[in-house]
Amino acid sequence: MKKDLESELREALRPVAPSADFTRRLIAQMEAKSAPAAAPPRARPLARPLWWVSGLAASLLIALGVQQHVRAQRELANGLEARRQVLQALHMTSQKLDLAYEAVKHQSSSLLDSESGA
Amino acid sequence: MALALRSINLNDSSLDYLDQQLDRARAGQSSAIAVLIRAHQRSVYSLALRMLGAREPAEDLAQDVFMQMSDHLKQIESNQHLVFWLRKVTTHKAIDQLRHRARIEWTALDENQAISDPTEHRDPLLQRHLGALLQNLTPDARAVVLLRYQEDLDPTDIARTLDMPINTVKSHLKRSLESLRERLEEVLP
Amino acid sequence: MRHRITILLWIFLMPGLAAAAPNARLLLPDFSALSKKASESVTITLDPNLLAMAARFLDSKDPEEAQTIEVIKGLQGIYIRSFTFDSDGAYRASDIEAIRTQLAAPGWNRLVETRSRKTHANVDIYIMVDKSQAVGLAVIASEPRQFTIVNIVGAIDLDKLHKLEGQLGVPKLDIDTSKAEPTPRAAPAPKAP
Repeated sequence: MKKDLESELREALRPVAPSADFTRRLIAQMEAKSAPAAAPPRARPLARPLWWVSGLAASLLIALGVQQHVRAQRELANGLEARRQVLQALHMTSQKLDLAYEAVKHQSSSLLDSESGA
Repeated sequence: MALALRSINLNDSSLDYLDQQLDRARAGQSSAIAVLIRAHQRSVYSLALRMLGAREPAEDLAQDVFMQMSDHLKQIESNQHLVFWLRKVTTHKAIDQLRHRARIEWTALDENQAISDPTEHRDPLLQRHLGALLQNLTPDARAVVLLRYQEDLDPTDIARTLDMPINTVKSHLKRSLESLRERLEEVLP
Repeated sequence: MRHRITILLWIFLMPGLAAAAPNARLLLPDFSALSKKASESVTITLDPNLLAMAARFLDSKDPEEAQTIEVIKGLQGIYIRSFTFDSDGAYRASDIEAIRTQLAAPGWNRLVETRSRKTHANVDIYIMVDKSQAVGLAVIASEPRQFTIVNIVGAIDLDKLHKLEGQLGVPKLDIDTSKAEPTPRAAPAPKAP
């Protein structure tokens, strides 16, 4: 009973996934939080002519961030697809080997039968 | 062989990979932070969900934990350390929240908020009861049970995670199992 | 009874299969014409990078997947082409002749050749041996409505693959693996054509 309850608990407590857009919302929240910190504190008169540079740099950083995010998502999708293919490949290989095994087994038993018959 | 996609798994090569991602995340790469979040979100969210009993507060808490993680990346030495850190922060935050709640309607969990994955059930009724009964445990006891049976930690690691004496962990486990068993017999005679 | 098992065991449990030899990879023809005729086609091309990536997404805590990780650890590639048709005779033997020609090259040995009169399923199993070590596996399986080519390149760890018995459908061989002989005496056609 103890063992059963423990295994039922393990089954019941398998990790579950949050909502599909959880990561996206979280990353957006993180980026929103870090954006003001990344901006220059307060424009001093001398720095004013360089605002456009900061703007451009910020845009580039955002673009880079988006690109990296997209890359990470692609990496994840590729990894899961590779995993699926490996499992399928091993399964198919084993099926064909099984086919050969069955044929060899059948052939061997036929030989044995004919030997014992003789 | 199950072909169902599960969370990113933590085998040896994954750990190397996640250690690399941790280095990149420390350097401020948001793609690496996204990978770390995806790798650990199921564990963090499931702990939060089963501690708090509802999806929305669980997602809020999980978000909170990951936001804190991004602020503390420099203090996290490895992916293994990160796993420990995430469990610790999640359970402590959840216990704090529960202690501040005046009263919680644990039985209010509806089917849409089932805290276990319905596709994985061997005995759906039993599993659902177990999920609900878990909510009757005290926050500390629930955290111990979750770390033991969801996260597969041994009592020593549970004690470290919850900053709790090991004997307390063991007694929580023993009493929780007894209580769950008794209550199960009541609802599923 | 025992020798028939030895054949398959030798494939699985061949010592080493150590470093991958580049020529263990077959040049698989472009089957696009057949693919159009097939009701189902499977194309799997897993190079070392993809195998390494897949290993990262397998669960080492899951006993079955942990064994799969062990099996693919030493592999350099898995290449599969499989086509299923709605009617008999939709493909010709010549479609796979290019593969057989490559398997006639030095290094490749045909271990098993099975021809079933009952199911008309033919399966040929080849291994490539380099410096007394097998470094590749090829399987050609043809049935009236299906043919499949499997090419595995690299170090297949025999004991580990053996552990997959029954889990991936690999036949349960029920034999002492340490006694496997490297001589496929039961193979009906020990030489490549």
